[in-house]
Amino acid sequence: MKLTATREEILGPVQNVIGVVERRQTMPVLSNVLLSAKDNRLSVTGTDLEVELVSEATLTVSAPGEVTVPGRKLLDILRAIPEGTNVTLTTEGERIVVRAGRSRFTLSTLPAAEFPLVEDIQAMQVLKLPQKAFRTLIDKTHFSMAQQDVRYYLNGLMLESEGGRVRAVATDGHRLAMCEAALNERVTGKQQVIVPRKGVLELHRMLGDGEGEVEFALGTNHVRCQIGDIRFTSKLIDGKFPEYSRVIPANANRIIDADRETLRQSLHRTAILSNEKYRGIRLSIKPNQLTLQAHNPEQEEAEDQIEVVYAGEEIEIGFNVTYLLEALSVIETSRVNIALTDSNSSCLVTAAEADGAKYVVMPMRL
Amino acid sequence: MPLVGRAILHVDMDAFYASVEQHDRPELRGLPVIVGGSGGRGVVAAASYEVRRFGVRSAMPVRRALALCPQAICVSPRMARYAEISAQVFEVFHAFTPLVQGLSLDEAFLDVTDSRMLHGAPELIARDIKRLIRERTGLGASVGVASNKLIAKIASDLDKPDGLTVVTSERVHAVLDPLPVRRLPGLGRKKGEQVAAAGIATLGDLRHADERQLRPLFGRDWQAWRDRAAGLDDRPVLPDRDEKSVSNERTFDEDLHSPEAMQAALAALADKVAARLRAQGLWASCIGIKVRRGDFTTLTRQRTLTPATCETGVIAATTRELLAGWLQEERPGAARGQQGRPAVRLLGVSATGLEDAAQEDLFAAADGARGTRLDSALDAIRDRFGGAAVSRASSLGRTRR
Repeated sequence: MKLTATREEILGPVQNVIGVVERRQTMPVLSNVLLSAKDNRLSVTGTDLEVELVSEATLTVSAPGEVTVPGRKLLDILRAIPEGTNVTLTTEGERIVVRAGRSRFTLSTLPAAEFPLVEDIQAMQVLKLPQKAFRTLIDKTHFSMAQQDVRYYLNGLMLESEGGRVRAVATDGHRLAMCEAALNERVTGKQQVIVPRKGVLELHRMLGDGEGEVEFALGTNHVRCQIGDIRFTSKLIDGKFPEYSRVIPANANRIIDADRETLRQSLHRTAILSNEKYRGIRLSIKPNQLTLQAHNPEQEEAEDQIEVVYAGEEIEIGFNVTYLLEALSVIETSRVNIALTDSNSSCLVTAAEADGAKYVVMPMRL
Repeated sequence: MPLVGRAILHVDMDAFYASVEQHDRPELRGLPVIVGGSGGRGVVAAASYEVRRFGVRSAMPVRRALALCPQAICVSPRMARYAEISAQVFEVFHAFTPLVQGLSLDEAFLDVTDSRMLHGAPELIARDIKRLIRERTGLGASVGVASNKLIAKIASDLDKPDGLTVVTSERVHAVLDPLPVRRLPGLGRKKGEQVAAAGIATLGDLRHADERQLRPLFGRDWQAWRDRAAGLDDRPVLPDRDEKSVSNERTFDEDLHSPEAMQAALAALADKVAARLRAQGLWASCIGIKVRRGDFTTLTRQRTLTPATCETGVIAATTRELLAGWLQEERPGAARGQQGRPAVRLLGVSATGLEDAAQEDLFAAADGARGTRLDSALDAIRDRFGGAAVSRASSLGRTRR
């Protein structure tokens, strides 16, 4: 294999895939990236066996070929070369030589055949939606995914498609975020997949704000989509996502209507003296008045009061303030509704004008 | 070389209960004294240094201790008196730092990092503490001084009684490496034997062992154990504020042999622990059981719960599974009663990882709050009519029904 390009032409695709190449790998080949050169195109692939990223670039290929090289080292070398320098990559026996100006680096390689690739994902359904809408789905839900929970099916984002819409749901068992988006084309049948956390975060990074359409293919074990120069493939979590609809409160008719920014700042202030571990905060609601209280193990106390629109009975309820703040930070309207049932039941947080997103937060006993 | 950075003391009173008895009753001084429950089934709570020479140890049955040292003098424990002396000892600690974490009546960690300006080097503080304890109570203490709790605890044990061991950072490996692995706090006797059987005899061996050797022994915690062998520990000294555990245990008049009887006794203990948690407004994130076999070997098993709980149903189910797990292991195992079945003389239930706030779970809540309502109903009945007014069927056992 031999190819020639400017530093930037090779650096770009390597940078695009390096996120999934972990430093410490159990399989040596996974710390490598696959370089595959032919027809004046270079494709660079990185994988951690869960998420696979392939990025392509056009450059001069004088001898086609495939080989894997240490990803981080190649990236560091390319970054350290002066901008605009011409770079040549040549395989020489079991090594690859990177030449740039008067610099020369010889890297070890592993055979391309050892590199695990996901072939056809056998798509059952293809979701077509604007890139921006897809990004919003993830924006508004990803923070509620569990991290390393024993309920492994919570460590990801559930996507459910039916008819003309797709719904994203994430929950860590304490709170839940749900958002819907319209599809450009209706789909037949109902599909439900759980994309693992790492894949979701990688996808979130890649998605832009454009109106351009993304085709998101759902397979039995994988999902795949092409965004610009990058092809994203992720394994799916093989498990049953909980029946999320039954935890969305149905009788939450005590509705607090608050100014989002005022509430956010008040929560933020009060949280300073909450227990650092549990972040518990007590809300006391009276007609048109919300009082927030927190205390920490040193028995230091914070109290704050804000005006709200509320006409129901007095109620007291405790929450992990982080969950409320995270929901408020992705609501875009100036006013927000918090709907309560009673002190022991979950609350429903929504934008005052429906935006397709719902946040459910379970209380804390304080 | 002075100790720089964190300075932690571990102070351990020497043969505390026995020393109090010898101090209060001068006629016992210099004699082999055993403090322990009287009668044939009692256990040694403390042994004076004179009687330790005969091989008598804490937690040993008094009967066996007397077989080893027939001339030993048995004294019944006077817990109120020990608590009184302990308060004087802790008062000494608090004169040097507010960061005092008591582990029991006779043992505490002190963080004296910021006490140096006022009270001098950690070693001087340790000497002053020993001197003041002796002046005020007439008792001896051993102190370990190091940069963290783990090393301080190991150090206090190196030069007992009346010891003072300072382990500066550069001496950590020199001091720890030659010690047998069982000196590592938290490593149970059984685990210690397994580790030693795997060819890891000393802390130095453990520190140099690799994942391949350690994972089968410690599972996913293997790195934590290797770090401990290297003397790494950044746990803070947590000043005493709250009760750190809620527990209840019961010694049986006759050893239990049937799993049903054990489970019933355990269910009753679990219920009591859960009720005490609820009464104090606490939730526990870790539930453990303690089993003492007929031959006095004692073991504990514990499990972390998410979310934390104070529900009898959840706590009882956890203890039931833990005991069932132990019974399963025990079946082909070593310690048996004469009947060839497991023999159990004591069972205990403990709740630790106590929290005064609990995050509710979305999915658990959706599955209904039946357990919680039953608990509050039973708590209310017992408040009015006493603990024996109502029992759960699970705590009665098959034979008594």
